[in-house]
Amino acid sequence: MTPSQPEFQRPSMRADVVCVGFGPATAGFLMTLTQGLAGADGAPALESRVMPGAPPQVLCYERADDLGYGVSGVVTRGRGLKESFPGLDFGSLPLYSEVAEEQVLYLLDPLGASRRPALVRAADRLLKSLPFLARDHAFRLPYVPSFLHKKGGFTFSLGQFNQWVGGLLMSTGLAQVWPASPVAGALIENGRVEGVRLADQGVDARGNLEPGYLPGMDVRAALTVVGDGPVGQVGRQLDRHFGLPKGAQRHEWAVGMKAVVELSPDCPLKPGTVIHTLGYPEPEIFGFLYVYPNRLASAGIFVPSWFDNPGRTAYRYLQHWMQHPALWRHLRGSEMKSWGAKSLLESGIRGEPFLVGDGWARVGENSGSTNVLTGSGVDEAWTTGVQLGRAVVELWRRGLPFDRENLEKAYVRRRRSSWVEREGRAGRKARDGFQKGFVQGMLGMALTGFSKGLLGWPGRPLQPHQRVPTLEKYAAGRLDAAQAAELRRQSQAGGRGVHDGLMDAAGWPRPTLDGRLLVSHQDALLKGGKVRASGRYADHVVILKPELCADCGEKVCVDMCSGQALTPGADGVPVFDREKCVHCGACLWNCAKVAEPATGQTNLDFRAGAGGLHSAEN
Amino acid sequence: MPVFHVVVCGGLVPDPLQTLEPVQGPAGWGLKNESMLPAILDPWAASALFEADSLARANPGSRVWLVSAAPKAKLQQVLMALAQKAAFELVAVDAQAGGFSDAAECASALAAAVNSIAGLDRSRLLLFGGWESASRGAGATLAILGEMLGISEQFQGVDQASPKPDGSLEILERVEGGRHQVSLLSAPPALLGWATGSLPEPPNNPQVGMLNMRSAMPALQKAAPSRLTGGGLALSSVELPSQRRDTRVVKDMPEDQVAREIVEWIAEK
Amino acid sequence: METILLLVAAEEDGGLGKPALEAATAARELAARLEGAKLLAGIFGAQAGRAGAALAGAGFGEALLVEHESLARARFATDAAACQALVAASGASLVLAPATSRLQRVLAAVSARCRGAVDTHATALGAESGAVHATRWFYRQRMVGRVSRERRPWFLSLEPGVFAPHAASGDLVSRPVPAPLPESRTRVEGLRSPSSGAQTIRPDAPLLFVAGAGWCKKQADGLAHVSEAERLILGFLGKSGASLGGSKSVVDQKGEGGALSFLTHLNQVGQTGSTPRHAKGLATCCHGEEPHTVGWRFVSGRRAVNLDANCGWAQGKADVLYVADAFKVMARVNELLAG
Ligand SMILES: Cc1cc2nc3c(=O)[nH]c(=O)nc-3n(C[C@H](O)[C@H](O)[C@H](O)COP(=O)(O)OP(=O)(O)OC[C@H]3O[C@@H](n4cnc5c(N)ncnc54)[C@H](O)[C@@H]3O)c2cc1C
Ligand SMILES: Cc1cc2nc3c(=O)[nH]c(=O)nc-3n(C[C@H](O)[C@H](O)[C@H](O)COP(=O)(O)OP(=O)(O)OC[C@H]3O[C@@H](n4cnc5c(N)ncnc54)[C@H](O)[C@@H]3O)c2cc1C
Ligand code: SF4
Ligand code: SF4
Repeated sequence: MTPSQPEFQRPSMRADVVCVGFGPATAGFLMTLTQGLAGADGAPALESRVMPGAPPQVLCYERADDLGYGVSGVVTRGRGLKESFPGLDFGSLPLYSEVAEEQVLYLLDPLGASRRPALVRAADRLLKSLPFLARDHAFRLPYVPSFLHKKGGFTFSLGQFNQWVGGLLMSTGLAQVWPASPVAGALIENGRVEGVRLADQGVDARGNLEPGYLPGMDVRAALTVVGDGPVGQVGRQLDRHFGLPKGAQRHEWAVGMKAVVELSPDCPLKPGTVIHTLGYPEPEIFGFLYVYPNRLASAGIFVPSWFDNPGRTAYRYLQHWMQHPALWRHLRGSEMKSWGAKSLLESGIRGEPFLVGDGWARVGENSGSTNVLTGSGVDEAWTTGVQLGRAVVELWRRGLPFDRENLEKAYVRRRRSSWVEREGRAGRKARDGFQKGFVQGMLGMALTGFSKGLLGWPGRPLQPHQRVPTLEKYAAGRLDAAQAAELRRQSQAGGRGVHDGLMDAAGWPRPTLDGRLLVSHQDALLKGGKVRASGRYADHVVILKPELCADCGEKVCVDMCSGQALTPGADGVPVFDREKCVHCGACLWNCAKVAEPATGQTNLDFRAGAGGLHSAEN
Repeated sequence: MPVFHVVVCGGLVPDPLQTLEPVQGPAGWGLKNESMLPAILDPWAASALFEADSLARANPGSRVWLVSAAPKAKLQQVLMALAQKAAFELVAVDAQAGGFSDAAECASALAAAVNSIAGLDRSRLLLFGGWESASRGAGATLAILGEMLGISEQFQGVDQASPKPDGSLEILERVEGGRHQVSLLSAPPALLGWATGSLPEPPNNPQVGMLNMRSAMPALQKAAPSRLTGGGLALSSVELPSQRRDTRVVKDMPEDQVAREIVEWIAEK
Repeated sequence: METILLLVAAEEDGGLGKPALEAATAARELAARLEGAKLLAGIFGAQAGRAGAALAGAGFGEALLVEHESLARARFATDAAACQALVAASGASLVLAPATSRLQRVLAAVSARCRGAVDTHATALGAESGAVHATRWFYRQRMVGRVSRERRPWFLSLEPGVFAPHAASGDLVSRPVPAPLPESRTRVEGLRSPSSGAQTIRPDAPLLFVAGAGWCKKQADGLAHVSEAERLILGFLGKSGASLGGSKSVVDQKGEGGALSFLTHLNQVGQTGSTPRHAKGLATCCHGEEPHTVGWRFVSGRRAVNLDANCGWAQGKADVLYVADAFKVMARVNELLAG
C-alpha cells in the first residue's frame, strides 16, 4: 500500500492473528479458534506466538460502528451454524423462526411498464389468459425446486446474531473484536502479509492532515485473516497484488436492498413464510419476503450488474416491487422499521481468489463462498470461517508456521472436501445464462439446478462496465435524442439521477408516499437504517480519474447509489456525501469506466470507512 | 501538578436515532424491543468521560473509573465502541436501569459500586457524570449519589472545568440565558454533572482499547447484579405524544410570497 | 392531607423570577384540588424578605424565609442547606420548585437529605381523590408519562413556561427560619456570557429561529455561502428579536464549508441539546430529524423552510413547510422587516 501521509510516529503493535471485518465468516473463524485455544477451564491452553508466555493475541477489526451491522435476510439452512452450537436453542436467537412455508412467485407486470423481452411477454400473455393460474398478477410455481428450498432452515436477524457472537467472543477473553475500526490495507512485505494497517484518523475528506491527526496503527500479525465481504478493500488489494487464479473472474454482482417491516395486524402471513419472486418490476430483479415472529418481515430485491440499465435505481424499484398486487396484499398497512443495502458477489465460486498465502488466509463471500444457485451466503461464509479456525488451531498446536503450504494443507483441504465447495461447484454455471438475457438465465439456472451443476446456459461474464449502455442507448425508442439530452440536463441541474425521468417515460407511476412503508429515499436512510458518518476519516468513496467522469455517458454511479450519496457535480464529476453513504459498495462495481485496465479497477474506488448503517433489526 | 481521582458515572441509553415506543411488561414500563435497540453511553455522560480522560492525561498520576449500571450484555457492546476513545477502569453493575427507573434507587446501586473501588482517594475525588440522562432526563441520579457519598460541592450543567496548578478548578455551569456561572472550587472532592463540555469526540485509539479491555472484561464478568424494583415510583401511564401535525407543504410559491407569509405569521399574536 | 411548600430563590434584586411565579400558580392550583391542603412558601436568598410580596394573593399561609448574604448567588452547598432548613421547618409533604438551574442543582440532593423522593421537569400536576400525580417526559421528550409516589416529602420541579405566572395582590406574612449555612470550598465568581453576545436561546423571546446545517452546505452553484448565511441570520435576529437555536450538525460544524461563527453548543436544540419553550419556531435549512425535533416538543407554532419537500418537517413535524431556498426567503424577510 502507499501510505498517503508522512510517517510520523505510526504506532505499531504485535498480534498472533488479526482479522479484517466481522461478518459471519470471521465470526465463525473466531468462535472456532477461541474454542480451540481455550483449555478445559476456559483459560488459554496455548500461548502467544509473538509474545511467548502471554495468552494468544487475537484481534478483529470491523469498520462499521457496531458489530450488529448486517443487511442480509436471513433465511438459511444453517447446517454449519447448527454444527458450531450443538447445544444451543436457536429459538432464542432474535427473530428466529423455522421455515414453515416456501413460495416462488413469478410476477406479471400489471402496469405494462417493465421492459420484457418478447418471449417473456408471450409467456405473460399466456398466464394472463388463464386466470385460474395467476392470482394478483402472479403465478405461483407449483413447487419449490430442490436447489432453492430452505426446508429445515430458519430465519433470523444477522445483525443481532453478529452482536451476540461478538459478545460471546469478547467474554472468552481470548479475542477482541473492535467496531468502528476500518482497516486501510494489508501490510505486504516480500510476498508475505505481515498484518494490517488501520485507517488514519484526524484527516479531512481528501486525507489531508488536520489537527488531532492520528496515524492508523500497524498491527503486525503472524496470520492475517481477510473476511471483509463482497467489496472489501483488503481482499481486493490481495487480488491486485497476487492476481487471481487462472480462469477466475469477479464480474457478477448485485446490490441487495431490503427493509425490515412491521406487518399490519391483519396480515395473515405466518412466521417462517419465505417468498421468492422473479419477473418484476423488471425481469432482471429478484425479490424476497421472509416473515419473522412478532409480525416483522424482511422484504427486498436484488438489482444485478447484468441488468443493462444506466438508471438502475434499487430504491425506486424496491417501491414498485412492494406495490405489486401479490406483495401489496401482504405489505399494505405495514411500516418500515429499518432499511439497508449491501452488495452481493454473484460470481460465487467462479470468483474464488487464492485462498491462502504466506501469513494470510481468506474466508467468506470475499473468498468466493457464496452460493449463487441456492441464494445462500451466511452459512457458507460461517463454515469457511470454521474450517480456517480448525486449521489454525491445528497448526498452532503443532507449532507450525502460518505459511502458504501449511494453510493449504490444513485449511484449503478441509474446504475442498466440504459441502460448501461441493454445492458451490454445482452452482458454478447457474447464472451464466443471465449474461445473455433473462429467459436464458432462468433456463440456465433451472438446467444447472436440476442437473446438479453439469449443465448451464452458456454465457461469458462481462465486467459490468463492459456492458452497461449509455442513457441514450437504453432509452432508444422511448426518448429521442433531444429528450434524452433534456433529461441529462435536468439531472445535472437538479442534482439527481436520470432514473425517475426514464421510469416516468416508461410508464412507471411515481410512488405515492404514505409515510409508513412508502417513504422518501432520504427518509429510509433515517427510518432505521440510521446512516451516520464520522468526520475524522478520509472519504471512502474516491473517484480516481475525474477526467473519465467528465466523459462518462452512463453515470450509473449516481442512479444506483443506495443512499443518494453520489450526485451529479460540476464538470460531470459526481459529488460524494458520506453522510448518506450506507457502505453498500455498489458504486464500485457499477462504475462505467475503468481506471486501471490491467486490474479492472473501475474509476470509482470503494475503500474502508467508518460509519454507515446503524440498524437494530437488520 | 494536581492528581485527580475521577469517577465517571454513566448509564446506557438507546441510540437517539432509534424509534422508541413504551411498553408495559410484567416488570413495569420499558421500551419495545429494548434488548435489540443499539445502545450508547448516555451522551452527556460520554462528555464527562472524555473530559475526565483529558483531565487525567494532563495531570499525570490521575486515574479514571467508569461506573455503569446496565445490563451486562449491552454494556459489553457499548464498551467495544467506547473503550478505544478514553482510558478508564471499569466498575460494572449488572442492572436493568432505564428511563422508568427511580433515580434514588439507581443512585444507591452506584454508591455501592463507588464505595467498592479499591484505591480511590476521596480527597482527590471528582465525581463526574451527565447532568441529565437521555432516558430519565431528571438530573437527579448524580446529585443523590453525591449526597450519599457526602460530597458537599456540586455543579450541574458543566461545560468546562479547568484545573489550576494549585489543584483548584475553575468551573463553568450552564445557567439561564445562554450564560455560564463561573465558580472557583478550591479543591476536590466535588461532583460535576456535565453538559456538552468542550471536547470533540476523541479518535479511536486501538492501544487504549486493548489496555482498557484487559481490565474491563474481568470487571464485567464479576459485575454485581443489582435488582432495581422501582423505588416507589408509580407510573400509571406512558404514551407517545400524538404529535403528528397536519403539515401544509407549500411548493412552488415565489420566495417573495413565502417571505410575506412568514413576516405576517411572526407578527401574529 | 398534604402540606405543600413552594420552594423558590429570590433574585439578587429581591424579586422573583417568572419561573418562580409560574410555580406559585401551579402550587395554588394543586392546593385547590386537594381538600384541606396547607400551602406555604419557602424563599431563600440575600433579599428573601422582599421577595415574599410577589407571592401575595396566591393562597400561601405564610412565607418561610432564609435570608443571608451568602445566598446572593447560586451555590450548591449554601443553597442546599437553606432549602433543607425550609423544608424541615415547613413540615411539607409536597415540595414544588421551578426547574431553574438554581433549584434543579439542589433539589434532588435536598430530597435525599430529607429522605424524600424526587421527580423533575413536571409539565402538569393533578390530583384524583386526594392522590397527587405529575406529568413528565421521558427519553428526552419522546414519551410522556404520569407519575405518582407514596413517599413523602415528594419533591417536584416544574418546567418553566407551562403555568401562567402569578400576579401578586395584597400581603403575605413571613417568618424567618434559622438555617446553619456551611462553609464551602466553592467561590462563585460571577456570570460569563458567551463570546457571541446575545445570540443564544432566550426563553423570553416569542420566536425561536433555528438554523440548520444547510446554511453551511454547498448550494445549487456548487459553493458554500457561509458569510452570506451569517449576514442573513444576524440580520433577521436583529430585526425580529428572535432567539437563536441550531441543529447539532450546524453547531458541530467545522472545516470545509466553514461554520457559523456565532453558534455554540448552547444553541443546540434537540435530544442532546435543549428543549426550549417558545410560542413559535421557524426552522431554516434544517432537515427536521427526530433527534432534533424532540427538542421542539414545547414549541407550539412551527414553520420550516427547506429545499427538500420530503424533509422531516413534512412528516407532521411542522404546521407549514415552505419548500424554498432559505437564502432567498430570509433575504426577502429581512427586507420586509426593515421596510
Ligand atoms: C439483501 C441481502 C440479502 C441476503 N439474504 C441472504 C439470505 O437470506 N441467506 C443467506 O445465506 N445469505 C444471504 N445474503 C448473503 C449474505 O449476506 C452474505 O453472503 C454474507 O453476509 C457474507 O458474509 P461474510 O462474512 O463473508 O461478509 P460480510 O457479511 O459482508 O462481512 C464483512 C464485514 O467486513 C467489514 N469490512 C469490510 N472491509 C473492511 C475493512 N477494510 N476494515 C474493517 N472491516 C471491513 C464489513 O463492514 C462487514 O461487516 C444476502 C445478502 C444481501 C445483500
Ligand atoms: C447521539 C446523537 C444525538 C443527537 N442529538 C441531536 C440534537 O440534540 N439536536 C440535533 O439537532 N440533532 C441531533 N442529532 C443529529 C440529528 O440526527 C441530525 O443529524 C441533525 O439534526 C441534522 O441537522 P440538520 O438538519 O441541520 O442538517 P442536515 O441533515 O445536513 O440537513 C440540512 C438541510 O438543509 C436543507 N437545505 C440546504 N440548503 C438549503 C437552502 N438553501 N434552503 C433551504 N434548505 C436548505 C437541506 O435540504 C437539508 O434538509 C443527534 C444525533 C446523534 C447520533
Ligand atoms: S464514477 Fe464511474 S460511472 Fe460515475 S461518472 Fe465517473 S466514470 Fe461514470
Ligand atoms: S456511495 Fe455509498 S451508498 Fe452509494 S453506492 Fe457507494 S457505497 Fe453505496
